[in-house]
Amino acid sequence: MARPHIEPFVDRDVPFKKLTLPGFPKGMQYKMLSLDPDNGACSMTVMYEPGYKQPPGMSYSEYELFIQSGSIQIGDKVWGPGSYFFVPAGVAIEAMSSPRGALALMFFNYGEPSWIESDSDHPRAEKQNFKAVNSYDNLQWSSTNFYPATAPGCMVKVLHFDNRTQGFTFLYCMTPNFWQDNISYHDCSEEAYHIWGTSWMMQFGELPTGGYFYRPPYINHGAFGCKLGTLAIGRTDSRLYNHFHYNPWTNIEENRERAASRVQHWMPELYQWINTHGHNHPVDFEYAHGHAHGDMPHHHGDGQVEHAHKRKKRRRR
Amino acid sequence: MKFIEHKRSREVEAWIRKEVAEQKVRYRKIVAEQDALEPKRDKWIADFLHRIQTRGFHVHFDQLRKIRPEEVPVKPKRKFRVVF
Repeated sequence: MARPHIEPFVDRDVPFKKLTLPGFPKGMQYKMLSLDPDNGACSMTVMYEPGYKQPPGMSYSEYELFIQSGSIQIGDKVWGPGSYFFVPAGVAIEAMSSPRGALALMFFNYGEPSWIESDSDHPRAEKQNFKAVNSYDNLQWSSTNFYPATAPGCMVKVLHFDNRTQGFTFLYCMTPNFWQDNISYHDCSEEAYHIWGTSWMMQFGELPTGGYFYRPPYINHGAFGCKLGTLAIGRTDSRLYNHFHYNPWTNIEENRERAASRVQHWMPELYQWINTHGHNHPVDFEYAHGHAHGDMPHHHGDGQVEHAHKRKKRRRR
Repeated sequence: MKFIEHKRSREVEAWIRKEVAEQKVRYRKIVAEQDALEPKRDKWIADFLHRIQTRGFHVHFDQLRKIRPEEVPVKPKRKFRVVF
């Protein structure tokens, strides 16, 4: 089971709670936005109380941190509003503090929030993928560059792009009087948080400042509108494609069916291969390859894609 | 690497259980609120179906296509959900 459909939810309507999980220092509060019941991966609004101090450390899960207001200090550097961090699992960051406090968003992508005091990286940490940028000062707005695209007036700043899944994290804005008259759905899960401003969707009504959604794949959303402008942060877990249409009443099954039909017509050769190959877990030679049924991750860099697996022995009762 | 395998403590397991329970309550509240929005939503949908026939449906970026009356979808009889 993955995260449920949480839409809309406004975090301003609920109080902060103290984060008391093992490893986290005192002085951190949170509001849960959404959580995966299986692995504890979650998105949270986080408040660092004035005077917050955190020793050097790492998380067991990849996480992302976005500063909405106030500031934090990591090492010698002060990071203010708009600062974004992508921290792979096991990458240790320096001691952090927030003398005057800060409001942030935290996304633990593959496991529950965890914090282990450490001044060195985990041996398997992918330090090269660590990223820190002030997105307000050092990134510029651009139109969305995928086809079909959102209407003029919706612009993005890409904060992080995952090469493997093509999932990405991005700031987006809607200009005043933005409108887009279509209904969209995607093959990916999508979530977003309104840093400032109110937008409107035909299914869910208005989403104000502090508004949030986590939307699983194939759920209709739109038409869209925004009277006064909106600044938000969005994320997907894999490639985002805008399946636009204008039927307000289609359901998830119909939308998925349509998406599959489109793939069949867009990539007929690949579609047929996947359907007929018989060993239905394709291998990317650029990545380590694992299986869900218990064997060790292994490569197929030698071109030996066709391979068999021994069945796991069942325990005798 | 996106995740490092580790053993969860009882405290963490309890925290997840508590958050999942609260999320279920939050989900039910959202569904109730969205069900209550239905009369407004019906009006929004009627306005949308009118606009795509008069101003156009966004095909891509600034490209609009006017939908002919015979293309306009008809509401099915089944229950209409927006939260899944």
